[in-house]
Amino acid sequence: MREPPRLLRHLLRLYPGEHRRAYGAEMWEVVRHRYARAGGGRLARLRLHAEVALDLLGTAFGMWTTTTGRRTMGPIKAGLGGWGLDARFVLRSLRHSPGYALTAVVVLAGAVAVNASVFGFVRGTLLAKPKYPGADRLVVVWGSNTVDGQRRDVLSGPNLIDFGRETTSLEALAAFHVDLTTLTSGEHPEPIDETSVAVDFFRVVPVQAALGRVFDERERNAGGQRSVLLSWSFFRDRLGADPSWVGRSISIEGTPRTIVGVLPERFEFLVPSQVWLPLHDDGLAADNRSRIHYNAVGRLKPGATAADVTRDLSAAMRRVTDRTGMYRNWSVLAEPMHEASVLAVRPILWTVSAAVALVLLIALVNLATLFRIRTLGRADELNVRLALGGGPLRVARVLALEAGGLALAGAVVGLALAGPLLARVRAIVPLYVQIPESAARVPVLRAVLDPGVAAVTAAMAVLGALALTAPGLISAVRRRSAAHGGRSHGTRGIRWLVAAELALATVLCLGAGLTTRSAGKLLGTDVGLEDEGLLTLWFGDAWGMTAPEMVSYYRQVVQAVEEVPGVTSAALIDYIPFEGEDDFEGIEFLDRALQPTERVREEWRRVTEGAFETAGMRVLEGRSFTSEDFEGMPRAAVVNEAFARKHYPGGDAVGRFLNTGNDHYQGLEVVGVVVDVRSRGPASPAPPMLYVPNQGEPRGTVGMYVRVAAGSPMGVVEPVREAIWSVDPSQPIARIFGMSDVVAEWVAIPRAVRTLVSGLAALALLLAAVGVFGVVAYAVRSRTAELGVRLALGASPDRLAREVLLRAVPMVALGLGAGLGAGYLAARGARAVLYGVAPLDPLSMGVAVLAMAGAAIVATWVPARRIAGIDPTAAIRSE
Amino acid sequence: MPTSMTTPADHLPLKAANHLTLLLLAQEPTYGVALLDRLEARSGGTIRLNAGSLYRMIAQLVDEGLVEPTGEESSPAGVGAPRKIYGVTELGRAVLRAEAERQAGLLEMARELDLLGEKR
Repeated sequence: MREPPRLLRHLLRLYPGEHRRAYGAEMWEVVRHRYARAGGGRLARLRLHAEVALDLLGTAFGMWTTTTGRRTMGPIKAGLGGWGLDARFVLRSLRHSPGYALTAVVVLAGAVAVNASVFGFVRGTLLAKPKYPGADRLVVVWGSNTVDGQRRDVLSGPNLIDFGRETTSLEALAAFHVDLTTLTSGEHPEPIDETSVAVDFFRVVPVQAALGRVFDERERNAGGQRSVLLSWSFFRDRLGADPSWVGRSISIEGTPRTIVGVLPERFEFLVPSQVWLPLHDDGLAADNRSRIHYNAVGRLKPGATAADVTRDLSAAMRRVTDRTGMYRNWSVLAEPMHEASVLAVRPILWTVSAAVALVLLIALVNLATLFRIRTLGRADELNVRLALGGGPLRVARVLALEAGGLALAGAVVGLALAGPLLARVRAIVPLYVQIPESAARVPVLRAVLDPGVAAVTAAMAVLGALALTAPGLISAVRRRSAAHGGRSHGTRGIRWLVAAELALATVLCLGAGLTTRSAGKLLGTDVGLEDEGLLTLWFGDAWGMTAPEMVSYYRQVVQAVEEVPGVTSAALIDYIPFEGEDDFEGIEFLDRALQPTERVREEWRRVTEGAFETAGMRVLEGRSFTSEDFEGMPRAAVVNEAFARKHYPGGDAVGRFLNTGNDHYQGLEVVGVVVDVRSRGPASPAPPMLYVPNQGEPRGTVGMYVRVAAGSPMGVVEPVREAIWSVDPSQPIARIFGMSDVVAEWVAIPRAVRTLVSGLAALALLLAAVGVFGVVAYAVRSRTAELGVRLALGASPDRLAREVLLRAVPMVALGLGAGLGAGYLAARGARAVLYGVAPLDPLSMGVAVLAMAGAAIVATWVPARRIAGIDPTAAIRSE
Repeated sequence: MPTSMTTPADHLPLKAANHLTLLLLAQEPTYGVALLDRLEARSGGTIRLNAGSLYRMIAQLVDEGLVEPTGEESSPAGVGAPRKIYGVTELGRAVLRAEAERQAGLLEMARELDLLGEKR
């Protein structure tokens, strides 16, 4: 005998209880009977399932609507009828107080919109995870030098090869390196973004090529074919998405490379890259172990964590030290890749999320206040309902209906507003914060309707409704009716709420003050060079030249550029500050005994004559480089203040000698100390820096400073480019910026925080003012009769208004005091996003107090002014 | 249980399935599953009900006071709840009579028009 599916039995629960109790068992017997009689064919069975299910569903629904159902459902239906009546009543009463309805909807809509747009943005873009399979098992692996304080540093090729062999917690580990390369296929050489990856990269990040293949064993070691993988954007924009290019070659840095494949359109990895080149394992292994150059990414074994990798590879690093004596103070740090990519934006996320949460809290308190006031104002009407036998539950239901309706309206309006607001938030967040391309494309609707955001929004609406029907309403009604003489007593609880609201708004105002001051300080920070009027660019692919050829070539270029009208001077430096590049070299102090294996590593830069002068860097001690320093083997060095402070604490840097890890820079005499350049951004201290003349071993690609006499440096871009090409038209030129724009990028995050927090603070201020206004307006209205009598007895309106104002003082003072205290604590917690401003900043506190007090005074004064307009006779009569 | 006092005429005309059910139950009180089979057999397969529709009809007939449970019968294997036997009430019989009379009147008319071809 065939049994019916259990699901059908559950359908019986859809029937009204009475029907189910009377007939449920028999109905099930009939269902079983039908199944027992049914034919055995698969199709017949499907038809039977459908037939029985539809019958049960249809009749169950019918039971609730037909005569029979209505009888069964009598009491419930009657109740539903009551809901309709109550809903109509609520609508009518809201029509009579449009101000209240509008305020409630606007407050809730504002809160929902801010919440949905900011959290929507955060979740939809910044926290968006990469899409490839198992992305949550990827870890970024860093070298960590605990003594130098370099927590996240790159690693050397041989170390990575050893780690890959010895790891017990990773399935695979792959080196990669992001750089600029030169496309030499076209008419002019062109710099393009390139990522070099070890073959195992495609085991770590399992992506399939859209066309052709990814790197495989053929690329593992050098000597095979020279391959290149293309990004989809390069393939589409440069090669017209023509598949016949796979197998043909393009020229990169003058070498033809075979296109073995094209990566899919949606693939992305940390930094966008146009072409992908192979890193050969034998090349990595044969590299100098002391040359740290590579990033690394690994795939966790099932069950392993990033912490396991940190332990596992730190042990491998110790074994390297045991074998070679190198890397004595080093360990390894592994972090989930997703965390590594949001590292830069984490402070902004926390600060802005906290600010949004505060605004939400204020909005909720505001709603609770509004609704309590309204309920108190309607006490008479609600009492009449109670007296007529409405019952407290029925009265509560009316209130709940009203709150629910307003909450729903607020949520809908808020979500509608969230879209445009999201676009604004997107515009505020600095562009250089690397949002994955796919995330930047997330449509507004999807971001706003993200499940997490939808859940928070729904929670907001429910909380809003709860706040509106805050517990104690009914009792408030009763107390109010009992204490008919002292009307304003009912507002005591409300005054507490408004004080809380004022406190929260004060926290935000203080936050706005602090972040504004912080951004201002950052913008005003002396970064160490004169960024105005300074043009920077990268040029050259001179790696094929000998050192003397390079030196001569660079001299000609500098000379040609200096001849451009409007240019006062030009000079070269390995890496331009503020562009995120660093370059370390080993340092040995000749007049100091160090442990033989303890090598100091510091940043260094090779410069040409006039580099400090062109950049506008002051010489603090000794002298700058002179022409003689650029002849023959380099003999002189200049250090910055941080270097001098760290290594020559006695203040006697000038005249000391040192060696570097580079054979061409030995026995250098420190001839001067220059000002610190905050090359890692205005908020970070300048790293110790060693400057040396470039002729020892120049780099094939260099940065150039160009100082202009007046006006924007961008005005000379074209003639400067022509001047460089006048020496050698085959040299690429890239990344041309005004230095002040580069510096400004670093301040973009604090500026975004300031803008967002200030906007939220303004909203909070407004909400708090609405709260104060509500309380005072209610106090005035409920005391109309009393005030009328006193006016009739000769009291002056001014005096009465003053009295009302004074009554608000304790509430405002309490809110401000508590807010300042909480704000100080919050600011201490958010010190990471503050720069140059103490949490106890008197100016910010003063501004917050003034803003809040000002808003409170206006919000009190407007309703208090109404006292003058009270007509004593009408007021008394109304009572 | 009837909600209020009704006359047989209030229930007319009967729907086909309700009519046949009342007739079958008037013939012999029975339980749901058996009623289902007999409805199907007697209607020549044109009335083929499922559990939901059958018991919606039974509930309606019980509500209107035309049908009532008359007793119980233990299920065949002695497993599960005993089956309720439904039979026709006095009002049910009166309604059947009234329906028969109504239909007899209609039949009369049809005969006058010779719709059954008896005069040919």
